[in-house]
Amino acid sequence: MHAIEVSHLTKRFGTLTALNDVNFSVDVGETFGFLGPNGAGKTTTIRILTGISYPTTGTATIFGHDIGRDTIAARQSMGIVSETSNVYDDLTAWQNMIFSAELYHVRRDIREKKATELLTTFDLYERRDDKVHGFSKGMKRRLTIAMGLVNSPLLLFLDEPTSGLDVQSNLIIRDVITGLIHEGVTVFLTTHNIEEANLMCDRVAIINRGTVAAIDAPERLKKTIQSVQSVVSFDHSSADQLADVSRLPMVNDALKEGDKFRLYTEDPATVIESVMEYARSGNLRVISISTLGPSLEDVFIKLTGLQRTGGMVHAID
Amino acid sequence: MQSTDDKTGGPEQWFTRITRELSAAWAISRKDMITYYIKPNIIVMGILFPFFMFLAFAIGKNAPPGTLIPGLIAITLLFSASSIEPVSIPIERRVKTFDRLLSAPISLHSLVFGESLSGFLYSLGIACFPLIAGIILFATPIEHAPVLVIAMALTAFCFATLGTLFAAYPTENVGEVMSMLNTVRLPLIFISGVFIPISEIPQIGQDIALFSPLTYGNDMITYAYTGTSLFSPLLDILALLIFILIFQFVANRLYKKFNE
Repeated sequence: MHAIEVSHLTKRFGTLTALNDVNFSVDVGETFGFLGPNGAGKTTTIRILTGISYPTTGTATIFGHDIGRDTIAARQSMGIVSETSNVYDDLTAWQNMIFSAELYHVRRDIREKKATELLTTFDLYERRDDKVHGFSKGMKRRLTIAMGLVNSPLLLFLDEPTSGLDVQSNLIIRDVITGLIHEGVTVFLTTHNIEEANLMCDRVAIINRGTVAAIDAPERLKKTIQSVQSVVSFDHSSADQLADVSRLPMVNDALKEGDKFRLYTEDPATVIESVMEYARSGNLRVISISTLGPSLEDVFIKLTGLQRTGGMVHAID
Repeated sequence: MQSTDDKTGGPEQWFTRITRELSAAWAISRKDMITYYIKPNIIVMGILFPFFMFLAFAIGKNAPPGTLIPGLIAITLLFSASSIEPVSIPIERRVKTFDRLLSAPISLHSLVFGESLSGFLYSLGIACFPLIAGIILFATPIEHAPVLVIAMALTAFCFATLGTLFAAYPTENVGEVMSMLNTVRLPLIFISGVFIPISEIPQIGQDIALFSPLTYGNDMITYAYTGTSLFSPLLDILALLIFILIFQFVANRLYKKFNE
């Protein structure tokens, strides 16, 4: 039995097809990343998997329970952490935890123990009696995740868990998620932080315009791309040099990132020679040069049809 | 998408399921009490608005103040019961806490019931003020106290469910829901015998009055105070129960539809 099994899922809103025949499964204990640009269908998929919305056609099961017909049983084993920190500002941290436990039918004798344990883990116990409206963004995020774990879920939906957070919150959240993964909790992770998905996920699915473009382990996905990156740093770097280095032989694309240039190539040896020649001719000194393999971000950009411009990623219309 | 007919087995499991659903509904209701009971727009729409509206009519009516108590209780129940959810649900949509309720392992019926329960309790609490004022200040006699209790409870729950129904409209703007609700609530007070006895309004008004839950609530409260009424109290109870079931059913369908 799979933790999640999605079969021929299609969702239409009028004439717009938000999801088009989506199929995938997530094994028990697997950490599964779900990546895609804005509007690709990630949220629609999560809303269907959590039973908030329903598909036009197709089915989704959670631990064998059809989310459409056996909704309550399917949800009982889930923890849901949405993209927005949807906590009740007028309740205290403790009241938020207990309310969440009550919604998930956590037994009275376990509720308080679990709430204490989670608030302590997320470094919020000292503030348990404070109303949440005084909390920082990071504290609200931590509380949201704690609320999602109050029913000890077997399957955790995590939507952008660490987006825009302070270092302390980031570290706590990543530690907790790593711990859950080690405990065998199945994690369905949606994130814009592709490196986060690369580090945490057993497999990732890349969805674009409602269709799954690829599903595989991050390392196997990277192997589908030939491009290699050379990162070069000169003793004097300026924006003008970007045009020069992007014209070097065998350079497919070039970006300026801080004081470094990132050059995309399929032939790193030729590029390194060209860079050295360029440095000599311009009286520049190469401070460092390194060659990297393709990143998951490269795979993502290739599959979603986005393009890099000046260090930013833009959608191609 | 939520199903209310999950396969849960025998009577014991059904009992567990119902207990869990009621417990979750009570949790939703308690959360609303802590969060919304003292929000300014609820105080204005639920307490001040019915009071001043009633005062405006009472001043021009030349009747002893004590005789106006049943009508005041009826419109207090109408406005206060139906004011909580049209405020709380759009706000919760905006801050995304409503998704937390929609994705919880409870049926939509329990969600609607839990939301309505907070309006019901709020309304009963507020309606106690005119009730106590009637007893203490005007010595207004109550002929049938048990009937008054049943009438207030059913009327409060009926309008709380009406408020939850209107709050199903998928907006994050409180004003939009309130505007729609007021286009129904305000005409109700004129055709339901609160200010003008139903027998004194034109025939078409009398016909429409039959479709107003306030007619039956007000009629039953009047009976509890005076011993006289347009319909039998049993008919009033039946009518209010039917309205509650219709509102609950329609609210359930609308929440399901609007989350598609």
